[in-house]
Amino acid sequence: MTRKSWDPIEFELLRNAVSAIADEMALTIMRTTYSGVLRDNMDFSTAFCDADGRLVAQGLTLPGHLGSIPTALAAVVERFGENMLPEDMFCLNDPFRGGMHLPDIFIFKPIFSHGRRIAFAATICHHTDVGGRVAGSNASDSTEIYQEGLRIPPMYMFEQGRRNETLWSLIEANVRVPVKVFGDIRAQLAACNIAERQFLELVSEHGVDTMTGFMDDFIDYSERVTRAALRELPDGEWQFEDWIDDDGVDVGSPIRLFVTLRKRGEVMQADWTGSSPQVKGAINNTLSFTKAATYCGVKSVLPHDVPANEGFFRCVEVTAPPGTIANGVLPAACAARGLTGFRMLDCVFGALAMMLPSAVMAASDGGNTGVSIGGYDEDRNPFIYVDFACGTWGGRPWADGLSGNSNLFANMASQSIEVTEAENPVEVLSYEYVPDRAGAGKFRGGAPYRRDYRLLEKEAVLQVRSDRHAFRPYGLYGGNPGAPSCNTMNPGVEDRPLESKLTMIMRSGDVFRHELAGGGGWGDPLERDPAAVLSDVRNELVSPERARRDYGVVVDTATWSVDEAATRTLRDEIVGDRVGAAPSVLWQDWPRAGQGADS
Amino acid sequence: MSRFRVGIDIGGTFTDIVLLDADGTVLTRKVSSSVDNYARAIVEGLAELFEASGLEPGDISEIRHGTTVASNAILELKGARVGLITSQGFRDVLEIRTLRMPKLYDLAWEKPPPLVERYLRRTVDERVNADGVVERAPDPEEIAREVGILLEQGVEAIAVCLINAYANPAHEQAIAGVIRAMAPDLPLCISADVLPEMKEYERTSTTVINAYVLPVVSTYLAALRTGLDAGGVAASLYLMQSNGGLTTAAAAARLPMHIIESGPAGGVIGSQAIARAHGIENVIAFDMGGTTAKTSMITRGEVTRALDMQVGGGIIHGSRLLTGAGYALKVPAIDLAEVGAGGGSILTIDPGGSLLAGPNSAGAQPGPVCYGIGGEEPTITDANLVLGYLNPEHLVGGALRIDRDRAARVLEEKIARPLGLPLEVAAHGAHLIAASNMIRAIKAVSTERGRDPRNYVLFAFGGNGPMFAAGMARAIGISRVVVPPAPGLFSSFGLLYADVEHHYSRTFRCLLSDADPAELTRAWDALAREADRELGQEGFSGPSAVIERSASLHYKGQIYELSVSAPDGVLDQDKLSDLAERFGQEHETVYGHRAGPEEPVELVNIAVVGRGLSEVNRVPERLRLAEMDGTVAARQAYFGRDAGWLETPVLRRGDLSTPREGPVIIEEYDATCLVPPGARSERDRFGNIVISL
Repeated sequence: MTRKSWDPIEFELLRNAVSAIADEMALTIMRTTYSGVLRDNMDFSTAFCDADGRLVAQGLTLPGHLGSIPTALAAVVERFGENMLPEDMFCLNDPFRGGMHLPDIFIFKPIFSHGRRIAFAATICHHTDVGGRVAGSNASDSTEIYQEGLRIPPMYMFEQGRRNETLWSLIEANVRVPVKVFGDIRAQLAACNIAERQFLELVSEHGVDTMTGFMDDFIDYSERVTRAALRELPDGEWQFEDWIDDDGVDVGSPIRLFVTLRKRGEVMQADWTGSSPQVKGAINNTLSFTKAATYCGVKSVLPHDVPANEGFFRCVEVTAPPGTIANGVLPAACAARGLTGFRMLDCVFGALAMMLPSAVMAASDGGNTGVSIGGYDEDRNPFIYVDFACGTWGGRPWADGLSGNSNLFANMASQSIEVTEAENPVEVLSYEYVPDRAGAGKFRGGAPYRRDYRLLEKEAVLQVRSDRHAFRPYGLYGGNPGAPSCNTMNPGVEDRPLESKLTMIMRSGDVFRHELAGGGGWGDPLERDPAAVLSDVRNELVSPERARRDYGVVVDTATWSVDEAATRTLRDEIVGDRVGAAPSVLWQDWPRAGQGADS
Repeated sequence: MSRFRVGIDIGGTFTDIVLLDADGTVLTRKVSSSVDNYARAIVEGLAELFEASGLEPGDISEIRHGTTVASNAILELKGARVGLITSQGFRDVLEIRTLRMPKLYDLAWEKPPPLVERYLRRTVDERVNADGVVERAPDPEEIAREVGILLEQGVEAIAVCLINAYANPAHEQAIAGVIRAMAPDLPLCISADVLPEMKEYERTSTTVINAYVLPVVSTYLAALRTGLDAGGVAASLYLMQSNGGLTTAAAAARLPMHIIESGPAGGVIGSQAIARAHGIENVIAFDMGGTTAKTSMITRGEVTRALDMQVGGGIIHGSRLLTGAGYALKVPAIDLAEVGAGGGSILTIDPGGSLLAGPNSAGAQPGPVCYGIGGEEPTITDANLVLGYLNPEHLVGGALRIDRDRAARVLEEKIARPLGLPLEVAAHGAHLIAASNMIRAIKAVSTERGRDPRNYVLFAFGGNGPMFAAGMARAIGISRVVVPPAPGLFSSFGLLYADVEHHYSRTFRCLLSDADPAELTRAWDALAREADRELGQEGFSGPSAVIERSASLHYKGQIYELSVSAPDGVLDQDKLSDLAERFGQEHETVYGHRAGPEEPVELVNIAVVGRGLSEVNRVPERLRLAEMDGTVAARQAYFGRDAGWLETPVLRRGDLSTPREGPVIIEEYDATCLVPPGARSERDRFGNIVISL
């Protein structure tokens, strides 16, 4: 039943109630999880969907999952359709049957009232391990899905309340850390059960027709809000091109990302045609993940009160040709495709920056770097340490890029060093900002940080998935790009430079250093307030030399003041040396006469 | 003879003073807060009270104080210039925080500025490993050099927090020694003293917060003491802590991190005391003022505490998922949820045509439209006025004149007409939506913690709490509401019920199955001795000094811990098994599931709370307050589409000596209580209004 007109008050009350269910599901998972990836990276999502599987409300967790649940739920509905019964629960992780990558296990529970299916509770969690050739099931150098772990097509997890023992024993036999995996599955099941109980309370209070009618109309309402917001944006077509360093298999072969945004009236289209064919390495996206990256970019330039549900999806059309990195097909490997999602967000932001020059930041660090150190101790007990690092934003048209803040696509938390050291045979020697690596600009990029990891066990496999090593985070409207990311083995001793993606053996005492890429700058660095430059110099984020070279600001470090006369002279000099006008997007520092390309 | 105890609560607008004697006589005073020097309003307010009542300064036996002075120092970034010394390689732990931001998709997000700027964060080359083993000792010359740099910069306090110092404080102590030698009078906080628990960001942030507010708080407390002494008030001074217990002024000056959320605690403790006196086990304390509403739970007679908090994080929108808005402070605190819903919350219509209430507030300035002092945006108070819930001419017992017509005009124009609704329907909708926002705050502390609010009694106070409580209670299936006497001053009043309380904790990380009972007993005993010593110095011993133990545990691999009470005395394997079972039960209660016996339970932190129970700390059952009297005309009030406009009697609290059926409005000096149709209200023998639904 769809009601033509709602009492706006009752509507708001139900909206609060249903959103609270999705949030409460998320809280249940977060508070009880066993997985560092879940607890710290919040790499999980919860949602409440209508009987057809359309997203009504999503828990506030990971933007990277936005839009993935309907795709997965559609696969379950297609397989089990009208045969579903109360107390059934379903799961899947197969990227080619509704999933995203194998570590993400979806669990769904259909909710019934008087024998009729009226809604779904949905959860998705990134699990610590789902088997495959490398601990953590996250390897970036697998070349086909069959290497990546246990593939679960849509399947019963419970059938009318009876556990599917076949599936559970298969999982137990195939994953490296079944206690953790089952602990997190238990949290997912609890979240679904909580959602069911609370929704049925609402049904008993308001009636089933009111609740199902509300879900229909809430989706329509969200569509109206989205359309109203999109109407305010200019019409036109904008394109952006960016490159991933490589896939870690064909080392040195860049991978093209290309998006066309078309905005007409109340609808936005994002077309990824022109992006690279799918690659051998495990960074191929499912279309659902490409959608999530696109949605995240578009949602970031719309007002905050636009609800993230089916109504929003209706107004943002995302397409990508099958067989490309944006829409991989069997047997594409995809375990490490998180990287591609982050980089697609940079690409969407680039196109949006052309559309809305004063609304969008320059390129961020390019998303999180995955570091995993795993092996077996002397008693053959496995250890897996997985860490993700991200934290620099590009400069914004109104403010510096943030430093030490999660990428917008993930909203992850860092893991405590002291907890890391208490639980793993790893010592962290450094976790702090690296100076002189943020892109200069009127509003500079965020300062990147470094992490140094020292191995304490005899031997381990080090796996790193990073990027922005060959292609720097772009600057916008005169701002310089950020410095590239950097991987080093045994800094200060051996100083061996490493590629952006790698799998190698580490031995006891080896130190692996990762430095994030610096954020891109926004606007002409010569327009930066000298007082802001002074503050950066005093805080040792910018050296006095770079203050001169990049910003034309002369700082007196004895008195901590700006030499204003010298600054004026120097800035005039730099303007005179500049070659040509700055393009809107800078991939290299703005060239000057008498200088090499850049540092 | 010293017979009056005093509760004083300082808010941003008013300073509330409550005096109580053993016979139950209550005197109150509401004075404007003196923002430049909060102590002045207290001293002057007391002097006025003495003058008006004929009391002498010597009649005061004890002063208990809830204050926002520490939290304001953080919110307004007006704390001390602090220098921080940390381990080489970790200069930015304080600023990087946990990376997480409190809002998704927000390109405009700004992190709160670090309380110590980078150039005042210095590092020393040293290392202790996770087991507490020294890998590299610090060089005394390097320490002296770094301390010298900070002193040259004119720092007003120094915080020291080294990696893994929770496992071995030796290096922090070495640095402290150098600092004391170089600057003997400089306030100094080392993390191993302040919070010997693992997780470097939380420990660093907590240590820095303590150092940051320490000079402000100690200066304030000294000024207050001086002012009281000058006025002849020699009574001892206690401070309310975030955890709901009192501490001495001296202890608060040393560890001011415990009084950051001093302000809201009094009302919760007062609710707990009244609940115990009534034999009510489960209470939701609901405090609604002009800008925000706060909720917290009392379960089986005990206040619910959180193990940590975010200072200055702004409004918690019911959701606890997204952290990072404020400064992490890892001290036990009453578990409060706060939403931006108060009388001043502004009503708006969003682009989708939905009516919203808050979180923006008109505050006291420019205030609701009806105040006529510049407010142009309709607020919840304006809606309540249009509905007939508030006195149509004046508030605060006549002190504030209001303009109902003006409120009606603006509500009509900005809300009712755009929505196509009759004025009263729109106003009633606004009232309900504000209530639903606050219900999310109740859910944040109840259902999100696995507790069913229907098993609780709702205690309502604050200027606006009694207006909304009955309607909210009905919406979530709560059957009883209690409105204490002087609800608008209840945060002050509640201070008079509190006990002295000190908290101690440390990390003791091990699997319960591997724990050495003797070693664990020793560790717990050491904390208990600390508590005992502190209480002894304050004059509590024997049965008036109560020590309770608790433990934070999780299943191995989980990051969040649950705190459960722990057995006393010498531990053995049976007691440890009992502890594991208590944890399993709590996990089941809170999260709806628990693991099987194959999953090891890990102990993370052990804690001790020491309570000093005061002999005179009993509030008489029957209070004698000056109450408003005189009759008020009945008026029309609107109760939704079904009930419509109803002729509603307006009463004084005293009129409820015989039970009355709703609709009824009870007007008091500091609050208005609404009893909707179908509810029944009466005054109990303690003077509370009890509403049954």
